[in-house]
Amino acid sequence: MTRQLSRRSVFEALLHRSPISRADLAKVTGLSKQTMSEVVDTFEQQGLVRRVGRTSGNVGRTAVLYELSPEGGHVLGIDLGARRLTVALAEIGGRVLAEADEPTDGRGGAWVLDQIARLSDRLARDNHTHPSRIRSIVLATPGVVNPKTGSIEMAPNISGLDHLNVVGLLGEKLGHPVVFENDINLALLGEIWHGCAQNLANVAFLALGSGVGLGLYVNGELVRGENGAAGEIGYLPIGGDPLQAESRVQGCLEYQLGAAGIVRRFGEAGGSPVDSAKQVFELAQSGDARAIAVVGETARLAALAAATVVATVDPQLLVLGGSIGARPDFADQVARALVQLAPRPVEIRTSLLGARAGVVGAVSVALRRLHDEFFGVAELASALPLPPPAQRHAPQ
Amino acid sequence: MSDAPGHSFAADLGGTKLAAALADADGRVVAELNEPTDPRGAMKVAEQLVASAATLARQAGIDVSGVRQAMVGVPGAVDPASGRISLIPNIAGLDDFDLLGFLRDRFGPRVAIENDVNLAMLGEQALGCARHCRNAAFLSLGTGTGLGLLLDGRLFHGARGAAGEIADLPIGRDPTAGMPAAMGTFELEVGSLAIMDRYRRHGGRDASTVREVFRLVEQRDPVATAVLDETARWVAVAVATLQSLLDLELIVFGGSIGVRPELYERVRQELPVLFSRPIAIAPSELGDRAGLVGAAWAAAHAVGQKAGSP
Repeated sequence: MTRQLSRRSVFEALLHRSPISRADLAKVTGLSKQTMSEVVDTFEQQGLVRRVGRTSGNVGRTAVLYELSPEGGHVLGIDLGARRLTVALAEIGGRVLAEADEPTDGRGGAWVLDQIARLSDRLARDNHTHPSRIRSIVLATPGVVNPKTGSIEMAPNISGLDHLNVVGLLGEKLGHPVVFENDINLALLGEIWHGCAQNLANVAFLALGSGVGLGLYVNGELVRGENGAAGEIGYLPIGGDPLQAESRVQGCLEYQLGAAGIVRRFGEAGGSPVDSAKQVFELAQSGDARAIAVVGETARLAALAAATVVATVDPQLLVLGGSIGARPDFADQVARALVQLAPRPVEIRTSLLGARAGVVGAVSVALRRLHDEFFGVAELASALPLPPPAQRHAPQ
Repeated sequence: MSDAPGHSFAADLGGTKLAAALADADGRVVAELNEPTDPRGAMKVAEQLVASAATLARQAGIDVSGVRQAMVGVPGAVDPASGRISLIPNIAGLDDFDLLGFLRDRFGPRVAIENDVNLAMLGEQALGCARHCRNAAFLSLGTGTGLGLLLDGRLFHGARGAAGEIADLPIGRDPTAGMPAAMGTFELEVGSLAIMDRYRRHGGRDASTVREVFRLVEQRDPVATAVLDETARWVAVAVATLQSLLDLELIVFGGSIGVRPELYERVRQELPVLFSRPIAIAPSELGDRAGLVGAAWAAAHAVGQKAGSP
């Protein structure tokens, strides 16, 4: 127990302060020099740390500097979107080594699973990482995983995943169990690790794209709800008539605010035919009066959803993300509408990571799980904090 | 040692009424009193709290100097960092008064203040209808509206202690349509003033209080019934909103209006129309004592004291 605690605190110091000398490690962790030497020797034998040079001190002897070795283990983050599949490879110290993405295979089902395996394998090999070195994999997906069948439900935009044991099959294909998590939750964790919400403990992430969704992070933890359905704000009974048949099926708010709702409302307003919500935004930017009105109404609906979040959970920060939410011309309009709706001002930021938010969040969870596997201490509930994106600190 | 838990002081401070209690080491109430809140403002109310502790100690036959935990529920938002109280319209000067500091001078450091509806939530979790719940809410409907939230087993306060201030939920008549932004939209639909306003707009003449409106509903008065139907409709929309955001195990109805079965049953019937998944709601088991019971429990167990604890 004591040894595990020592190893954990040395690892944490290496995670946040590499490169660092043994003397500084002892100072930071409060461990004796002897204990420190034992731990560092063990880490070296295990390939967890490596020597990266010596201090260039002005006086006295120089000291060997250590950092976490990429050989310590790798993780994969995967973001399975309806239109795009993204995979990222990172090493145990938190550095993202490479990312790859391609359009999601439109045939769905098993083809998508093969595509995930192929893209992951290629990314690892291109970066000289043998698949056996990958120790932790997290996948971001829309919808929810059925724990009994391993299938993905409520993800209508990717076909064929609702009758496959996706969890089991993908684990076999990748040669390592895969942890599944909701894509919006992971996008939120991505913004917290590397994006616009760093170091914050109470953050709401409002995702607007083909669908609408909410991620909630309170007191440093994701809110999942009793049945994992927290944040399913497509079903908020606001913004339209909750008694309408479409509201019941698709969700009252999503029927108005989702991409299809934007296109539909533009048509109802007498707008020229368009294929996508993106075109409505582009028309608004080019001065089309009907498009401007529809975009304004869209911002008002988004602000209504945001106001329910502000009144209920009082976040420090509201992040707007997703293909529509992250548009910079849109966030200003939402902020202006929210001033009228929410009595307390709340800061709004646009997602910094954009389309990468989900995969970055997946990597962050994969890293935490790996760290916990190596250095978890049952008595310490929370995982080790991850290093910030710029992780090089001068030795003390 | 003298550090043994001993007795705790608990209070539920309202704009018109103060309920106070002494609790034993298990958090069970052993002495209790109710009196009108001193109308002369914050300082007098603070002194009234200290005096009530002394009265209760005499009743229970114990030495008041042995009471060294206290939890006071207040009808406002408590800032988790500073213990400052805000959004408190009913007690003059309380938002500028260091109530926490005043109470710590009398009872020592183990004193906390907490939003009253949060304490009602804790009460129902400890001894009421939300036992064993980890994700639940206490929806208080009366003169004002409020929400106590239990997330993952713990009270949730929000970044500035204003979580659950649902008076401002944008639910009701279009909140952007020329209404002052400073007024809580939801409270404007379901607070007791809103109910009376609606009653008059429907042409009602026979009731001058919400209690009388409910009595007329019992007598099948069509105007009063229509008013209650409409009120229940807005409450149901708020309940569906909470469920959509937070996916709760149970939503407990409390407050003078929230506990009325006439309202509660109407909301229950509305919900399946508004929301496709089932939503569990239940009337408060502890009624108007929920806040006091929660305060006693919290003081004895030192839970929910993040807000305003040292």
